Amino acid sequence: MEYFTDLVIVGLSLGMVYGLVALGISFIYSGLDIVHFAHGEIYMLGAFIGVTVLKYTGLSYPLLILVSMVLTGLIGVAIERLFYRRLTRQGGGISFAGMGIIIAGFGISMVLQNIAFLIWSARAVPLPVSFGMPIELGNITLPKSYLWIVGITLILMLGLHQFLRRTRLGLAVRAVAYNKDIAYLMGINVPLMISVLFGIGCALAAAAGVLIGPINYVEVLMGTGILIKAFAAAVVGGFGNLPGAVLGGLLVGVTESLGAGYLSGNYKDIYAFFLLIAVLMVRPSGILGVNIRVKA
Amino acid sequence: MLELDKIEAGYGSVQILNGVSLKVARGQIVALLGGNGTGKSTLLKTISGLVKPWRGSVRFDGEPIDGLRPDRIVRRGLVQVTQGKEAYPAMTVEENLRLGGFARNDRAALKRMLERVYEYFPALRERRHQHAAVLSGGQLQMLCIGRGLMSEPKMMLLDEPSAALAPQVVLDIFRIIARICREGMTLLLVEQNVRMALLLAQYAYVIRDGVIHIEGPAESLIDDDNVRLSYLGGTVADRGESLTAHR
Repeated sequence: MEYFTDLVIVGLSLGMVYGLVALGISFIYSGLDIVHFAHGEIYMLGAFIGVTVLKYTGLSYPLLILVSMVLTGLIGVAIERLFYRRLTRQGGGISFAGMGIIIAGFGISMVLQNIAFLIWSARAVPLPVSFGMPIELGNITLPKSYLWIVGITLILMLGLHQFLRRTRLGLAVRAVAYNKDIAYLMGINVPLMISVLFGIGCALAAAAGVLIGPINYVEVLMGTGILIKAFAAAVVGGFGNLPGAVLGGLLVGVTESLGAGYLSGNYKDIYAFFLLIAVLMVRPSGILGVNIRVKA
Repeated sequence: MLELDKIEAGYGSVQILNGVSLKVARGQIVALLGGNGTGKSTLLKTISGLVKPWRGSVRFDGEPIDGLRPDRIVRRGLVQVTQGKEAYPAMTVEENLRLGGFARNDRAALKRMLERVYEYFPALRERRHQHAAVLSGGQLQMLCIGRGLMSEPKMMLLDEPSAALAPQVVLDIFRIIARICREGMTLLLVEQNVRMALLLAQYAYVIRDGVIHIEGPAESLIDDDNVRLSYLGGTVADRGESLTAHR
């Protein structure tokens, strides 16, 4: 039983990280019709920026996450302005131009990997944050890094929710996500809101990268694996649905952890796809997805 | 106040507007009439900046606004009121209205305008915290007009406020439009409901095949058979309408 609880706790905290990346992917898709295939590399950049900033400044962990989110968010904004903006003018999503966006995404992901390789080399580096002794809860030993993951992720998710529901800027972002022409007629600076939206999506991935850093090593290829799992999470929850992305992330994390614990750790990366296939067979639009897409 | 000079515009390589010129003076209600596919919507989008004109000029308040980004045009006081179906369904009535006032940063002014809109449309106040998705067609149209008022524009472009509404509701909405204009609004009213539009407006243009086909003072156009013909394009419905008119 303890073994089971341990696995679930590990699965939930990893799932939170998947959920955070999936949330960014879903957020960008729901707002801009961009299926962002370079999101794993944004996550990787966020982690490396965390490592570098920590090395030179020694910031505290929450501040480190914040700085990495801001810097990576700005990089995301630059990427969107330089590359995606030209393509989204012709339409996105499942349109013909949407194909171009997907190809551009893969291209950007390769370019970012190689840039990261040139800067940080192929070596896996640790993100040395010390959290102190693990917490003992009865028979369960809980490393504090897991608590950080759960806590920070919850704060970010609630923060995003409150931002979208309660603030003027959030309202404008939702308006742009639903329909750009109508948003223009409201007097909203649509290009600026698109940057805000994309930047937030990328900042969430950066946070995930810095959160996973102390548990796993930080390396150039860390983005490919998470991209696939985050996509599985987003699709399981219902693509473009924000709470769905988080739920999907948790399910993927727990499935993976239980599978690795009870079946075989060698096939750890496969279990997410069993879940994905099972969900798609029962509910093709995802758990919280609807057939008619209602955005914003 | 608004002056269009030989506007040509279209989508991709398809030209829709072939040189439209029209004028709206301050405080006036001007009707723009025309059937489906005559270029009415394209003309509105060209004025509000969603479509860039290929040739010609748009002047508002004496300054050229063609080529400006749509949100900049809104900030200058020229607002396009969308059709009712283009309210944000997943947002509440009040959120929709607040969006309409997005161009204004002045909280006190927004609060005052919100009160004024609720006073024009009491039905919206009752449903202020409900999602726009549950409103009736008439209420949606009211919401969009209210949303347009929120930024306190100098002039509004109204896109078919009577579309798909019951006659009684159309009457209610036109009464309020008339009131808003009495209180100092300038209006370009795009309509398919020819009679209602001509009763409200002082001057009217009829657009056909992307050019202004007929223009004149509204009262002189009400009984003009050319307007009906040009508007309906000689369909069966047109003959029916003519029969009742001449009985």
